[in-house]
Amino acid sequence: SVREILAELTGRKGGCAKGKGGSMHMYAKNFYGGNGIVGAQVPLGAGIALACKYNGKDEVCLTLYGDGAANQGQIFEAYNMAALWKLPCIFICENNRYGMGTSVERAAASTDYYKRGDFIPGLRVDGMDILCVREATRFAAAYCRSGKGPILMELQTYRYHGHSMSDPGVSYRTREEIQEVRSKSDPIMLLKDRMVNSNLASVEELKEIDVEVRKEIEDAAQFATADPEPPLEELGYHIYSSDPPFEVRGANQWIKFKSVS
Amino acid sequence: MAVVAAAAGWLLRLRAAGAEGHWRRLPGAGLARGFLHPAATVEDAAQRRQVAHFTFQPDPEPREYALETQSPLPRNFEMGQTQKMNLFQSVTSALDNSLAKDPTAVIFGEDVAFGGVFRCTVGLRDKYGKDRVFNTPLCEQGIVGFGIGIAVTGATAIAEIQFADYIFPAFDQIVNEAAKYRYRSGDLFNCGSLTIRSPWGCVGHGALYHSQSPEAFFAHCPGIKVVIPRSPFQAKGLLLSCIEDKNPCIFFEPKILYRAAAEEVPIEPYNIPLSQAEVIQEGSDVTLVAWGTQVHVIREVASMAKEKLGVSCEVIDLRTIIPWDVDTICKSVIKTGRLLISHEAPLTGGFASEISSTVQEECFLNLEAPISRVCGYDTPFPHIFEPFYIPDKWKCYDALRKMINY
Repeated sequence: SVREILAELTGRKGGCAKGKGGSMHMYAKNFYGGNGIVGAQVPLGAGIALACKYNGKDEVCLTLYGDGAANQGQIFEAYNMAALWKLPCIFICENNRYGMGTSVERAAASTDYYKRGDFIPGLRVDGMDILCVREATRFAAAYCRSGKGPILMELQTYRYHGHSMSDPGVSYRTREEIQEVRSKSDPIMLLKDRMVNSNLASVEELKEIDVEVRKEIEDAAQFATADPEPPLEELGYHIYSSDPPFEVRGANQWIKFKSVS
Repeated sequence: MAVVAAAAGWLLRLRAAGAEGHWRRLPGAGLARGFLHPAATVEDAAQRRQVAHFTFQPDPEPREYALETQSPLPRNFEMGQTQKMNLFQSVTSALDNSLAKDPTAVIFGEDVAFGGVFRCTVGLRDKYGKDRVFNTPLCEQGIVGFGIGIAVTGATAIAEIQFADYIFPAFDQIVNEAAKYRYRSGDLFNCGSLTIRSPWGCVGHGALYHSQSPEAFFAHCPGIKVVIPRSPFQAKGLLLSCIEDKNPCIFFEPKILYRAAAEEVPIEPYNIPLSQAEVIQEGSDVTLVAWGTQVHVIREVASMAKEKLGVSCEVIDLRTIIPWDVDTICKSVIKTGRLLISHEAPLTGGFASEISSTVQEECFLNLEAPISRVCGYDTPFPHIFEPFYIPDKWKCYDALRKMINY
């Protein structure tokens, strides 16, 4: 939920990883988290897909990574394993055209990320169109569930801001480019236009949703700044799974922390 | 000087932050460590996060290093024309000198073309061309392997790994390929002209994957050199030495010092010898050893010890992690009888354990107290708990006090 995400960013107790993970480490039920080392989650996804297949509960695993991470070696290792063992894994490359400061043309020999799977079939999807993404994912999930093996999806999208707090976002691209994408292909705007034009919703109804959402985010932001941080004792928790709790050595031989898990 | 004023400002802010908060005893620590109660006002919370755990202290002049144009080593040499530079600017200056001197030198890494995440390579692409300063795709293993390939042919390869935390995909290439190339080929081939630069260490908001100090992992690997500077002047000299050294080197740059540390640095190239520790301050009662950012922490601890306990501390910056300067450290311990080593990396298996073990072998009868290691906790580098995790000056001071009273 939004509250948990914002609280995790500020490192509070109410965050999804109890405040211990920070911005790259959001976890939830069936959501196995973000990774600081991009690309590390792709073999992980292949593994989860194996578990899905093994458990026979008709589940699939979606593994997302970016255009920057698409050049990591471990991704190709994961492709090979998934195709070899026909794992129900949907590999999704979110191509926002820049790997932090490097544009895709300067980073990849082949910018057709959906073809990078080679022996894994790939789909290229307009990531800015919400309905398009939904249909493509539906198709991909059905494909995987039918036992035909993994499939690759490339979502073509865009990033407005910089990659992180230390990246201004404009030193490697022009402001005009950002404005252009924002005004022509913003996903929320496109869906709004479509709904209004087909009389599925009126402008007022959408405005109401807007106001509601804003309020929810503000509440969450309030919670994120006001929630207490996790207590200091938790510094050593959850390093290992250990019963009974053992002691973690601290900064010198006289500081010891309990590690509970 | 402006830097001294800035340092004084930091100290004043540190004291102010302590006075406003509630004091609570950290379990196990002898000295009360002040931190603000979680229910403090928003203003206090904002102030708390901005306080650094150290104060950068530039070295006093003059320094005894050889300017490339001068030989032999003069006692008080002319620094030549200098410029006020911070750490990333001194790195840029060193890289600039290298590319100018060595026509085979190339710089590559993630996002280095526009200047790099920390601005260490600003202007180099425009000056030397895009065939000498270029971006690589996001593949650390590929970057280092590729760098080894360049180095083997004799060209100078300067690879950048964007954060030391990301160096692990390249660990196999560094340890199994780069370090062993000369050995396994019987000196027929070597990748000595490879240098890997990487931002290193805690930065206040880095969390698990932007704050690690992996020097201990590489210390276990014969064949490579690992170097960590403490200041802009040291960084430029050491980096130039690493680039010119005929062995693969890893140069870790303390990222928190990129902007925080500024001093006068010569524009001309100069070398600082590798595998030589530097005694920054002479003393007679305790030896304090650290590297990188932590040097500034222990310097403060040394002055605190002098003031409050009348203890004279010898402060040593190790500079090169492997091969490390055993003689300087041992000579110092023979003189003082007590040793305290401090680093941000976790305690178990951290490099302090190697120093401790060697020193007790060499100087056992000279030791007055057990060797003390003040390091990070044995946990992954925490996100929100960082101020408690890092071995700040209070923890070091506490350990020093216990050692004196042993």
